[in-house]
Amino acid sequence: MPKANRRVAICGGGIFRPDLWHGENAEEGVAIAYQDLLRQCPNLEADEIDAVMMSYFSDHLNQQLCMGWIIQDYLGLHGKPGYRVESGGSTPIDALVNAYYLIQSGFFDVILIPGWEWMCEVDVASTNEMIASAADTDWDFPVGGYYNAYYAALETRHMQLYGETCEDLGRIAVKNHNNSTHVSFSQWVSQHGTAPITLDDYWKSRLVCWPYRVLNNAVMSEGACCVLMAAEEKVKRFTDTPMWITGVGVGTDSMRPGDRTADFAYEGFKDEARIYPDFVKLPRTPYPDMANFASLHVAAKRAYAQAGITNPLKDMDLMEFFAPYDGVELCLYEDLGLCGRGEGKHMIREGVVEYGGECPVNVSGALTATGHPVGATSLYYTTFLFWQLAGKTKEKCGQDGLQVPNAKRALITGHGGTGCQGAVITFERD
Amino acid sequence: MAEEKGLTETKLTVRQIKRGREKKYRDYPVVADNSTVAHELWEPIVHLGLWDIKGHQVVKGPWGGGTIEEAMRRPPKEFMVIDRASFAFYSHSYGLVSPFFRGLLEGKLMGTRCPKCGTVYCPPRAHCWKPECKVADCFENWIDLPLTGIIHTFTVQCLAAAPFEYMLPFSMGWVQVDGADTTLPTLLHIPPKEIFIGKKVKFEFVPEGKRKGDLMDLYAVAMVRGEKVPEWACLQRDPEAMEFVETSMKATLEFIKNRYGIDNGPEARGW
Repeated sequence: MPKANRRVAICGGGIFRPDLWHGENAEEGVAIAYQDLLRQCPNLEADEIDAVMMSYFSDHLNQQLCMGWIIQDYLGLHGKPGYRVESGGSTPIDALVNAYYLIQSGFFDVILIPGWEWMCEVDVASTNEMIASAADTDWDFPVGGYYNAYYAALETRHMQLYGETCEDLGRIAVKNHNNSTHVSFSQWVSQHGTAPITLDDYWKSRLVCWPYRVLNNAVMSEGACCVLMAAEEKVKRFTDTPMWITGVGVGTDSMRPGDRTADFAYEGFKDEARIYPDFVKLPRTPYPDMANFASLHVAAKRAYAQAGITNPLKDMDLMEFFAPYDGVELCLYEDLGLCGRGEGKHMIREGVVEYGGECPVNVSGALTATGHPVGATSLYYTTFLFWQLAGKTKEKCGQDGLQVPNAKRALITGHGGTGCQGAVITFERD
Repeated sequence: MAEEKGLTETKLTVRQIKRGREKKYRDYPVVADNSTVAHELWEPIVHLGLWDIKGHQVVKGPWGGGTIEEAMRRPPKEFMVIDRASFAFYSHSYGLVSPFFRGLLEGKLMGTRCPKCGTVYCPPRAHCWKPECKVADCFENWIDLPLTGIIHTFTVQCLAAAPFEYMLPFSMGWVQVDGADTTLPTLLHIPPKEIFIGKKVKFEFVPEGKRKGDLMDLYAVAMVRGEKVPEWACLQRDPEAMEFVETSMKATLEFIKNRYGIDNGPEARGW
């Protein structure tokens, strides 16, 4: 476990809402998010920012390398050290993790983390193709592959092993879309309004890759977010309600999900493996199989150890999962230790993860409803957690905002590929 | 129609550039040359004009931060949106696992075996990934694998990335080739109503002249025709799910017929 040199906190987040299309281009969108941050942290002077940690995923989507340089210059921060972090869907949480390392180690005191993605310049099928080039292009991509299909196949396996149903996936979709209707920056609201949806709407939703329907899949977005992170000596200048980082864990897994049938890296977790149902014939493989997300499992263990979390279900007031497909959310209930392996379905059936439940998950509406411009994604939901722990959700989202009462501890997950890389960050307020 | 007018008048300029082959591989001999004319003439194929602006639109839309309601209350602004294309043509080496792909051309399925731990890789790895084997060379240990295996997991696609859209609807999955420890991404030429995890399959190859040297050269079919689907199978045990998949596939077939003029129906495809 790393030695805690000093405490580090999130001091605020500025948002330019995600939407299917913006007239503004990426640098203008980031500038709007930065303006929003400056309004919330009026003391923040450019001189105080030691470095810029930029989060964006794709060079292909806008056919622009080194977009980070454009952003840094556009914000007038080009005299400072600047870095780009890129790890697929893991990019924005990785930017947070790396900024944390640099501040916690004492190298910098204040880091600005701008994140963005402009995903709709090319058609949806081409965006899917470009995103799928994060998969192994010699092996997984040529077989008609893209991430919807990969994740659908992973969920098919999990469903076969542990018996959740399409209805369970529908319940998660309904929960998240309805949560999203209470969020001020929701893309779902922008496109479809605030009317709640029901399971009937889910059953009418079109098939993408079985078992996933349109409502189970992340949306395509354009949007930006700027998060401010600082060491404890500086925090008070920027906010009265810092969100302290208490644990940071990162994990990785095989590049190709198909290689997880021989995944030696997680043999240590065999003791946790439930016995496979009798009807599942060979090949049976140990955790994570092609079903669960071991990278996030170890990331959570590492973060929990630093934060002193022993029972996440009880110790945490809410969680924001990076779940581009609803089966991922169900698997992560298990991988993050809210329940045992194979028991994820009970968490949604029994309402544990609903707003008002014991541990609400994705109160923000998250990736399938509220927005997923990759580089900004985990920054949006970190900002959302900042509002929650500060008790400001209603101030930010209006009287309908879903404030978790007395929220003190929260966590966020992020990952890329098919769980090839993942991270978990735990937060706590004073 | 406006689009047709744009196309026929001035918008699409295909540059016919003839040029010699770039010297890409130093002085190493090309011992087999199965490249096509695209190797020299790729540019018009890929680019239809490098970075040329093919036209533009002006879109009047909301702007600025805050909520969508706040943005919509502002007088809209006009955004100029240009259309431009750019990509490249890659000559990519399959590296030390090239024998696998040359094997596909010959209708063979091969894997590598680690000389130290004995793990059989298909997809092959040129070097073992197990730390105790210290990146052992596996690329001299090729083994012929049987053309049989077991479906480890699968999906049925009614939407696809751009290059594969014309094939819709189709199923893909991961098949563990008999004798291998890892699983191979595979197209499944099996009707969804017969696909289940644990099903035995055999590999077949596309006709010899049509093989290109990637995983599209082969596909899996049922080992036993008309095999009974077990009652626990996750797709078929839910009759509504199965019916939904069938309906969705029919709609997808229509979509592909309209967009590409291709009939991917079972009669036309033969599976």
